[in-house]
Amino acid sequence: MVNLSELENDALVEIFNIGVGHAAAAMSEIVNEEVTMSVPSITFLNRADAAALLGSKKDGERICGVSQHYDGAFATEAILMFPEDKSLEIVRLMVGDAMPLQELTEMEQEAMSEIGNIILNSCVGTLANLFDSELHGSLPLYHVGTSAEILSSFGGHDDDAVVLMLHIDFVLSKHQIHGYVAFVLDLSALHDLKQQVSRYLAKVLGQA
Amino acid sequence: MPDALHRLALLESILGAVNLGAIVLDEQHRIVLWNHWMARHSARQADAVLGQDFFAVYPELRHKRIDSAITQALRDNFQSLLSQTLHKAPFALYTHGAAAGGNDGEERMQQAIAVTPINLPGSPRHCLIQINDVTIAVGREKLLREQTMVLRSQTFSDGLTGIANRRHFDVAIEKETRRAMRTSSPLSLLMIDIDHFKDYNDHYGHQQGDGCLIRVAAELAAMLQRPTDLLARYGGEEFAAILPDTDAAQALRMAEAIREHVAGLRIAHAKTGNEVKHITISIGIATQHPQQQPTISALIGAADRALYLAKGAGRNRVMVQSL
Repeated sequence: MVNLSELENDALVEIFNIGVGHAAAAMSEIVNEEVTMSVPSITFLNRADAAALLGSKKDGERICGVSQHYDGAFATEAILMFPEDKSLEIVRLMVGDAMPLQELTEMEQEAMSEIGNIILNSCVGTLANLFDSELHGSLPLYHVGTSAEILSSFGGHDDDAVVLMLHIDFVLSKHQIHGYVAFVLDLSALHDLKQQVSRYLAKVLGQA
Repeated sequence: MPDALHRLALLESILGAVNLGAIVLDEQHRIVLWNHWMARHSARQADAVLGQDFFAVYPELRHKRIDSAITQALRDNFQSLLSQTLHKAPFALYTHGAAAGGNDGEERMQQAIAVTPINLPGSPRHCLIQINDVTIAVGREKLLREQTMVLRSQTFSDGLTGIANRRHFDVAIEKETRRAMRTSSPLSLLMIDIDHFKDYNDHYGHQQGDGCLIRVAAELAAMLQRPTDLLARYGGEEFAAILPDTDAAQALRMAEAIREHVAGLRIAHAKTGNEVKHITISIGIATQHPQQQPTISALIGAADRALYLAKGAGRNRVMVQSL
């Protein structure tokens, strides 16, 4: 569906790893404890396959999502997603004060939104810096639902939308938590992104 | 008044009236706007801070999350959210005004903060810091947390006697057998049953029966003073006591003391069918030794057998069974 060369793929993985590295540093500062994050791989999927990947473990499993809209050099909806129990784990590890409830309270949802805000701004910020371009970012929105529900609420009803999926490994207090960041891109945004990647590669490889 | 001036005056009045803190910084981090809300809740009037560097006014916020949020707004055009849960109260602001904070030691207002880039045509980007007072919401969640903790503790206690219930016992016995194995220490279990309780209920009625259970439970609980001991209502008129770090001999002494104490209460019981005309208890003991592979069912089974033997041997006595 999306033809990225191995070099372009590696470049994007590296860029996102720099991004989540910044996010991890920011989160370490907040909790006063080491937080590490990495992006082991990225995949391009259509919306249905992306939803299936997230929901594959249990049918109808609820996912927590934090989304932000970006536009400028390219337009995308970026969504950080964790299974609901994992987002509970992250927030309560970050806060260090367990709420004895099975769902995030309003205040905890806001903390989760901030965690998403930090991770998404860091990823997109690194991308924009390296591409030497500017994007405008919105405030984060919190969502709960199945992966299909969350993913289908973005990018209109454009069936051509492509999802750039980042796998994220998040380690805090010896807990390892897997999550995802999805960038929903329409075809023109995807085209813009690819152009930016090849421009960036040409620049760093001295072929500009 | 010309339209533009009128609009400007209107906007200024609104900014002064809104129930939220607004600070605007220019590209050099200089404060260019400080609304009336900020003046009211901080100790600083607009005149004193306008034109100053934000981090000269709030040096403690340098290198904190708000610092990077401001940078992201001014440099990257990104918005940031600082939640109360992760940051509590970064600014020295007080709900009832700054003077109250100084005088009565009122706690800082709990804050939710948003940092937003402001793009103006023809001038470098500015950023807006919005501060919301979420103290009430924080208080509401604190109450919710406390009530949930109370509810949770209720699900682990027996509604009638107030001591631990069967569910609590099941969790505790699991935990204590594992702990005994790890620390190589003995663990004893007492099964305690009120003698001829059915006859007591039939004769005195259920209300007095309940009163008897409450009284005996309270007396048993008072005898088990160590913080690690756990007394639970196992079922009906049967109680169980988990005694960590207690070997068979110590458990026997303890059980004997408990039996004597309850008999000594002289709670009248006319229908025992024998010459003893007061409430007595029978106790079965089992002890898990450090060298034994722990199985909870074997421990409970042995204590149950011991209790059965005590009943069979005429009640009001203590019996021991090995695992």
